[in-house]
Amino acid sequence: MANDREVLREIWDGKLPVCFQLDQEEIMEIQQPDPFYVMVPRLSYFPLVIDKMKRHFLRYISQENADNEMWMDYNGQPLKWHYPIGFLYDLYCGNDPQTPWTLTVHFSKFPGNILLHCPNKDVVEAHYMSTVKEADVLKHRGQIMSAMQKKDHNQLWLGLQNDKFDQFWAINRRLMESHGDNDGFKHIPIRIYAEDGTCTQRLISPKNIDGSRKIIQQLITELYPEKPVKLRTHGITIPLDTPLQWLSEHLSYPDNFLHICVC
Amino acid sequence: MAYELTAEGFLSSAKAFIETSNLLHDDWILYENLDICKSYIQKNTFINVKGQLFKTEFVIFYHLSYGVPTFSFNIWDSTGTILNLEDIRKISFTEINQKDFYSVITQQEHPVLCRPFFIMHPCHTYQLLSSLSESKNIIVTFLGLITPLINLQLSSKYGL
Repeated sequence: MANDREVLREIWDGKLPVCFQLDQEEIMEIQQPDPFYVMVPRLSYFPLVIDKMKRHFLRYISQENADNEMWMDYNGQPLKWHYPIGFLYDLYCGNDPQTPWTLTVHFSKFPGNILLHCPNKDVVEAHYMSTVKEADVLKHRGQIMSAMQKKDHNQLWLGLQNDKFDQFWAINRRLMESHGDNDGFKHIPIRIYAEDGTCTQRLISPKNIDGSRKIIQQLITELYPEKPVKLRTHGITIPLDTPLQWLSEHLSYPDNFLHICVC
Repeated sequence: MAYELTAEGFLSSAKAFIETSNLLHDDWILYENLDICKSYIQKNTFINVKGQLFKTEFVIFYHLSYGVPTFSFNIWDSTGTILNLEDIRKISFTEINQKDFYSVITQQEHPVLCRPFFIMHPCHTYQLLSSLSESKNIIVTFLGLITPLINLQLSSKYGL
């Protein structure tokens, strides 16, 4: 179980400075809007942290676009709101860190062939809960999530949404336990993304065939036999001797998946 | 409870399904991938609902986490606009209330095709398939379960 509380706390407290700028084409006023600076939790999702930014820019845009769905890009790359913010930063800026992270805000030309629609925060919650559920299917055949009550599910979500570490971990710790005599999850919920954003998902056991703990080095050899790669998450290059089970318990995002970038 | 379908099992069912589809000229196509978990079958077609024509793409893929076949689709109207979930509910085969419909189908990033799709939640599929006995072809059985929701016009010659 997730025992290294300091690590959990450190990961939870990770923040990114972001600078939002309104797309020049959207500006309908003579006066240019100031950029909007904010510190955002790495573990959160953009739709949960951009209400103020949206209000800041609304009065500069054409009123006919005011009810449109807002979206953002980094260097022309539309940002997928359904991934945690810190993961998106690692994916696009991991090799060349820049702070503040400068993003462009749009109120028109929503790229519906790339981005999911997000009309309200309920959609974020539904997406989050279904991802936690999927992770639990991989770890415990879904038994922990289905044994929980609705109020526990709510507490997870509210803990994340309101940045309440204790509230969140009071529930999440149950999802991080392994059961029976078998010390470890059935499979590790892990998604590994190439630089172009394409994702590899495999059924990964936390153990080797001989029953020993599988470490990152062994995972890399398994997935990338031709050339060794480095893996990054939460802005950290993962040490090669890290056991997968420990990684899953401590460095998973709140959706209970490890989101890892190849670098 | 112990329902298990491997990616290999899915692929062999998909191949058998495509053979039937070819005999019936039903236009399902198999896309095999080197990464066996990313093989899928697809059918692009037009459907007519209450006099309106829609373009549809249907994709059935193997959901790695749940270990079940999963149904996904997109629908465009005649102006080329992609339909949202509420539009889709209105042209659904059966009358179904918003809450129930939304709990079964949501827009997600496709795990195989990596772009937005409407996907039927695999957790329900898992429960349903677990409660059924052995079937001749898991994809046919699966499609039989979901046709009430999506107007698929699947021929009974598949052995439903």
